[in-house]
Amino acid sequence: MHCQTTGSWGSYMPTTRTAATVVVGDPLERIERLASENAVVIFSMSSCCMCHAVKRLFCGMGVNPSVIELDQDPRGRDMEKALIRLLGASPAVPVVFVGGKLVGAMDRVMASHINGTLVPLLKQAGALWL
Amino acid sequence: MANHNIPYAVLHGMNVPTSFIHQEGSSFDFGELEEAIVLQGVKIRNDDEAKAPLFTTGRPAATLEMFPSWPMRFHQTPRGSSKSGGESTDSGSAVNTNSSKTENQLEPESPISTKKTTPLDQQQGMASDISRTGTSIAKLPQEKRRGSTSEKQLDAKTLRRLAQNREAARKSRLRKKAYVQQLESSRIKLTQLEQDLQRARSQGFFLGGCAAAVGNISTGAAIFDMEYSRWLEDDQRHMSELRTGLNAHLSDSDLRIIVDSYISHYDELFRLKVAAVKADVFHLLTGMWATPAERCFLWMGGFRPSELIKMLISQLDPLTEQQVMGIYSLQHSSQQAEEALTQGLEQLHQSLIDTVAGGPVIDGMQQMAVALGKLANLEGFVRQADNLRQQTLHQLSRILTVRQAARCFLMIGEYYGRLRALSSLWASRPRESMMGDDHSCQTTTDLQMVQPSQNHFSNF
Repeated sequence: MHCQTTGSWGSYMPTTRTAATVVVGDPLERIERLASENAVVIFSMSSCCMCHAVKRLFCGMGVNPSVIELDQDPRGRDMEKALIRLLGASPAVPVVFVGGKLVGAMDRVMASHINGTLVPLLKQAGALWL
Repeated sequence: MANHNIPYAVLHGMNVPTSFIHQEGSSFDFGELEEAIVLQGVKIRNDDEAKAPLFTTGRPAATLEMFPSWPMRFHQTPRGSSKSGGESTDSGSAVNTNSSKTENQLEPESPISTKKTTPLDQQQGMASDISRTGTSIAKLPQEKRRGSTSEKQLDAKTLRRLAQNREAARKSRLRKKAYVQQLESSRIKLTQLEQDLQRARSQGFFLGGCAAAVGNISTGAAIFDMEYSRWLEDDQRHMSELRTGLNAHLSDSDLRIIVDSYISHYDELFRLKVAAVKADVFHLLTGMWATPAERCFLWMGGFRPSELIKMLISQLDPLTEQQVMGIYSLQHSSQQAEEALTQGLEQLHQSLIDTVAGGPVIDGMQQMAVALGKLANLEGFVRQADNLRQQTLHQLSRILTVRQAARCFLMIGEYYGRLRALSSLWASRPRESMMGDDHSCQTTTDLQMVQPSQNHFSNF
């Protein structure tokens, strides 16, 4: 599983901006921030069926994930592109973060569930209680 | 006298480096050695030209050394009457020293070689009492020794003999070189054929297209069916390896190799399915690649992992408590994953229905485009299902010991073998009368007959 160190992107934020540039904020940084706000965070799109599957998976395990629908977010397009870069593959969604750390797309999530590493991770993040 | 010290190659105007020529005055001892080195160099250059990008330049020397004893099975070039009677072995004219034409010369005999034999004949005619075999080179050290001890006062007869030996040695080297070049060109041909086949397979040429045209299935589906039937043959082989490995009470490390190769065998199937999903997802989803009985239990283009584990649980005894927990946990997590994927697929179905059925048709083509996009999502689900199947098998092998894993995989293989056998029986069951009871009895007896030899019913 990938692990992402939090706050490592902060240094990339330019300190000076011209008046013409709109301060948008680094999409990756926003993703990280959102990912660390809850124990389980799923980046999704409301029309995506695989996203529905991953949501059902966590709900079925008794976990209550926080879901960010990119198609309903004004900065969703940028975050989608950033996620594709992060994963190194398309599609961008669904992507799952547990305890602020990147677990991955659907295949990684399922692999980690089958090999028994997902549940301890969820417990560690406080998303699951025995 | 000086003539005999000039190398044959130079005498007949062959392309030879100039350094080779200036050994007229040198002692006889170095002549053969330098000759051998130079001919080796000539051969390496020739082979480099012949082989282009396919082989590294280091190869020719290596292959030359692969044949310490040279083959004697060459064509005999028809020689003139000047041929001496003393020849016991073939002095076949396997002369292929022409650099650029090696790839066209598959046989040792060639039009070019005949040109060279006649001067050879002339030299052979000079001394008729010496037999020229591959051992002529072995004779040379003796000759050299004799040559040096006589303080270079060599008489004509000795000179002739030495020249003959040189000739024989040279011819042997040329024969060897020709043989190696023949092998090399065959190798090139083989590689090219393999590449063509690979390319044809990937492009679905001929076999795929043919089968598709005949069977009214897509090329991708035809290719997968072909590859799957080959996989089934491999499966049989792996199963018998597992069986003999278990019965032979191999060591754990030996058994581990067999088990790992069976897992790789399944990994190969999942690789094939990845390609098949892209080519024709519906073929996988409908299960037409599998036998009817297997199709009964089809889930998202393949077997349902939790069902497989359920089948195995009772037969895997004895298990440690930790193993039991591991297996049940695996079953539970795969059930959860299956449920999640099923629900996702259901949402896709519903969304598709909405698109295709949905309301007043404002823009038919637009609707179709949207529907097409949604259909494409099916590929993702089959891929995830295959991923789940693969992960389950890997996890099984982690939980179990080597022997248990071997038995487990054997069980899996036999289980599907029986399902396939069942399908065959079903297909060939008598159907004339619809008298229910008679029917079932017949089928049961067939099954009983089949059971001892179930492993033969591997293919549908």
